[in-house]
Amino acid sequence: MMKYESQGVAKLYFIAAIGLFTGQILFGVVMGLQYVMGDFLFPEIPFNVARMVHTNLLIVWLLFGFMGSAYFLVPEESERELYAPWLAKLMFWIFLVAGALTILGYLLVPYAQLADLTMNDLLPTMGREFLEQPTITKIGIVIVALAFIFNIGMTILTGRKTVINLVLLTGLVGLAVFFLFSFYNPDNIVLDKYFWWFVVHLWVEGVWELIMASLLAFVLIKVTGVDREVIEKWLYIIIAMALISGLVGTGHHFFWIGTPDYWQWLGSIFSALEPIPFFMMTLFAFNVVNKRRRDHPNKAAVLWALGTAVMAFLGAGVWGFLHTLAPVNYYTHGTQVTAAHGHMAFYGAYVMVVLTMISYSMPLMRGQKAGNQKAQVLEMWSFWLMTVSMVFITLFLTGAGILQVYLQRFSEDPLPFMVVQEKVALFYWMREVAGLVFLIGLILYIYSFFAKGDEVVFAED
Amino acid sequence: MNSDELQLKRASKAALFSLLNLTVLPVIGFIILLLIYQKSSSDSIDHYYSVIGIKTNVFAGIALLLVSGLMILLGGFDSPWTWVYVVSYFTFVHALFILFATWVLVRSWTGEKLKKNILSK
Repeated sequence: MMKYESQGVAKLYFIAAIGLFTGQILFGVVMGLQYVMGDFLFPEIPFNVARMVHTNLLIVWLLFGFMGSAYFLVPEESERELYAPWLAKLMFWIFLVAGALTILGYLLVPYAQLADLTMNDLLPTMGREFLEQPTITKIGIVIVALAFIFNIGMTILTGRKTVINLVLLTGLVGLAVFFLFSFYNPDNIVLDKYFWWFVVHLWVEGVWELIMASLLAFVLIKVTGVDREVIEKWLYIIIAMALISGLVGTGHHFFWIGTPDYWQWLGSIFSALEPIPFFMMTLFAFNVVNKRRRDHPNKAAVLWALGTAVMAFLGAGVWGFLHTLAPVNYYTHGTQVTAAHGHMAFYGAYVMVVLTMISYSMPLMRGQKAGNQKAQVLEMWSFWLMTVSMVFITLFLTGAGILQVYLQRFSEDPLPFMVVQEKVALFYWMREVAGLVFLIGLILYIYSFFAKGDEVVFAED
Repeated sequence: MNSDELQLKRASKAALFSLLNLTVLPVIGFIILLLIYQKSSSDSIDHYYSVIGIKTNVFAGIALLLVSGLMILLGGFDSPWTWVYVVSYFTFVHALFILFATWVLVRSWTGEKLKKNILSK
């Protein structure tokens, strides 16, 4: 069913991605409980370690997901086999071992000791949120990324060049290049924050949007049969808007870190434009599905694709806009409102687009045009369970955040942080329940790959 | 331009201004929507979409002003819980109205009516 044999490399990456995703959610559920039962699993898994594992696993599994998606997409778009499938397999094992050792390091060794063990003092890069990896792991990530881009790049450059694979390549090169800022760790904390955001923001509100848009465009072409030209035009406008708004939009992270005041204007204005590309993705997905020339038998993949566009708009667009203007952010900065936005944006934009690619490509890699009836029903159930519970996680965290802002920062008699945390505990309990439902959805999702049932038939068959 | 094309153009304009009224052009968008409604003849596609636009925006207006107003009135302006409900409710529900208006806009481009399962023809 695959057009090119080397596309099968993606399967390894997707299996690893789903495994690490499960780990991320398990640590999320543990941490959710630690919000209300502070000593749960203490001292074995302290909150700060659980949080680090939760966020790092997210990044690592999404990288696995992006790489797997690229290995599946690029041969088909370029109309040739992957330049070096063996290199893709080798890099998979290196990345997996390095990732697993890093997570084990977080869990088994105190962080300061991990820094000593990995000789962080030779090139200090540890200690920044999301970029906690030991320097040696970061060097490993760079090697894997270079080999990956070489492989993908050579496949594209020696094959057919399409808007989709070139936008994807641009996004992936950007991902690798911006990661290099994580090696610069200046003593001046303001300067340090600039460079930290040059990695984190320019990834998630810059080049990752290019990756997301190209993956979504690829799946939509496949499942709807709509002309490539139509989809490519949309893609141009979406990525232009993503870069126009997202690059200077980095300024919304510079409001309160000791930078000049003009960042409050620049950050507010440009990041207020950031919902536009996400809104356009929704419009694009709705439009393409509405104009579809065929009903693809893989309904689950269509559902994931539409869900990605909608949830990315809600999480990244609407919830981002909610607290991005400087006068609002003055109160909401670093509260649970940020956590609400972070959860829904990551899920809607990046988790869901990877799951869309997996949903579309996994049956093909297993020799079917689409998953069997039962598998698809289970997968669609898992879609709704995970998506609805993420909506509730977001709403509960938003509620907690608003209460936190009011009690801690807005009222005439502001309360201390920990007193407020006790007052918002009800929201944390409800978030934990929603998190457990999410976990059930994920278990169902994994089970759907093993479900046996009647094969679906293509209309053309 | 024949009358069918004109109606289709007006229908998509009505859907667009319905969306704009919910987002960046409140009030102005609604006035333009009313003008499109006035120009349309009953049973035409532009009439159909301008009615949907007006209904959507009236419901959204009620959801925004009336429900939020009631929340503030019943909960009290100085209660933090009032703002928990108002902000969460407004953000989520208004975003759903925007999503609905976006789907309506996309449907209006094809000149077909709304009733359609999104996942199957």
